[in-house]
Amino acid sequence: MRVPTKPRRLMVRLVWLVVGLLFVGSFWGLDLEWAKIGELPSDVVHYFGLMFSDPDWSKLPEALFQTWRSVSMAWVGALLGVALSTLLGIPAAEGVGPIWIRLPLRWLFAVIRAVPEVIIAIILLTVTGLTPFTGALALAIGGIGTHAKWTYETIEATPTGAGEAVKAAGGNLLQMVRWGLWPSASPELMSLGLYRFEINVRTSAVLGLIGVGGIGDMLTGYVQFRDWSVVGMLIIVVIVVTMTIDAVSGRIRRRIMEGAKSIELDRIV
Amino acid sequence: MTNTLVLPPKPRTWPRNVGVVLALAAMTLLTTLPRLGGVEIDLGSIARNWSNAAERIGMLLQPDLSILPRTIEPMFQTLSMAIVGTVLAAALAIPLSLWAARPTNPNGLTRRAVRFVLNVVRAVPDLVYATILVAMVGVGTLPGVITLILFDVGIVVKLVSESIDSADSAYMEGGRAAGGTQTQINKVTALPQSWPVIASQVLYSLELNVRISAILGIVGAGGIGRLIDEVRGFYRYDALSTIIIEILVVVLIIEVVSNYLRKRLR
Repeated sequence: MRVPTKPRRLMVRLVWLVVGLLFVGSFWGLDLEWAKIGELPSDVVHYFGLMFSDPDWSKLPEALFQTWRSVSMAWVGALLGVALSTLLGIPAAEGVGPIWIRLPLRWLFAVIRAVPEVIIAIILLTVTGLTPFTGALALAIGGIGTHAKWTYETIEATPTGAGEAVKAAGGNLLQMVRWGLWPSASPELMSLGLYRFEINVRTSAVLGLIGVGGIGDMLTGYVQFRDWSVVGMLIIVVIVVTMTIDAVSGRIRRRIMEGAKSIELDRIV
Repeated sequence: MTNTLVLPPKPRTWPRNVGVVLALAAMTLLTTLPRLGGVEIDLGSIARNWSNAAERIGMLLQPDLSILPRTIEPMFQTLSMAIVGTVLAAALAIPLSLWAARPTNPNGLTRRAVRFVLNVVRAVPDLVYATILVAMVGVGTLPGVITLILFDVGIVVKLVSESIDSADSAYMEGGRAAGGTQTQINKVTALPQSWPVIASQVLYSLELNVRISAILGIVGAGGIGRLIDEVRGFYRYDALSTIIIEILVVVLIIEVVSNYLRKRLR
């Protein structure tokens, strides 16, 4: 029996070479201190002990208050973000808006996608100050980038039959959107809206780090005081709250999508 | 003979709709009560701060290009961090994904353990890792790279193991029928089969990494974010705007390249 010769995979080797060179070049450019890398494992064990051997539960009430503030930012941000994204996303879908509306809108979404929420918050706080409202607004505006994209992709993926029927019966654009698109696209859109809330829960904790309030704000404070037992407690709170919200929201999303075909939802951003 | 057209009764959906609207309204009310910790929607503040804000927005609209030479080195640092983080995370994520997927790891106990740990890792936001690591190992790029690795491993393992779970496992059955051990099956069938997915998700994580590593410096974890924090402290909004535009351009370039490569992979 003759074994076929192995295919020569020049391209694959080239790709590996490029990746390798990029990696070595970048690693060299980082100037990492080798001594620190050596100490890393013992450091991690040391600080894990400080944080989790005896978490300080006396600050739990304040932590829960701040967590609710973060969750509130996430919710208000998701609500505003989804509303804005729906308004902007529907005309950006092919078959709804004309091309001179579609293209600029899509560019706008791409630009917003490229700017991290933290930077949006830094710009916004010149207007609204270091308040949770700034956090919510930053989440809303930052959310448009991905969410409006999902919105128009969802709308483009819905069957066009119903919409054409409305048009044929003499309906105008608004009526077509309401009776042709909305019924078939709404489960998907609501599910995506909830998913936006899940993402925002994570991001709102990050926004707290620049001082807009919430659990991130409290966490930075205690990290700076080096009060590790409180930091440990806060991390446990963040993990439990995030995982609980993910679980509940995930269950609701599955309920909404029951019967409707699900497209790839779990793109974590 | 006359045919009377009888319309079918409308399905009663209003109780459910009312329920959904009420639930949404209740959640919105609870999250906007400042006494409970909610967000105070203060549109008045926009009006009050308008003169101050208008001046700063004016500065943002006139980017100060003189800072550009100073941004080059931190920008390269940001990109280096993103690349190193992505590659190291990919190296860790490949064995872990095989461990976290049902066809490649039939042992329910270890599979659930790996999944649980990764769920916990994913529940902590990126900058929170960075803040804590900076306090642990000191200011620099090391905490930034570790943050990126933790973040990437979480998402790449989730996405890749899910795709292995849902992929056709005919080859693997062939391997099992031929008497291969699980390790041999994974190496010879599962891994080659999932290369395109792995490569695509790793590229996706590189995109996210560039975006994250641009802001890691705000908490002291290296890269261009350090400069953002500095110019923000001095209210140099004209310089800030240059940096934001630069990040925007770099992120968009990486996204275009990565999208092109990912299309080629399919």
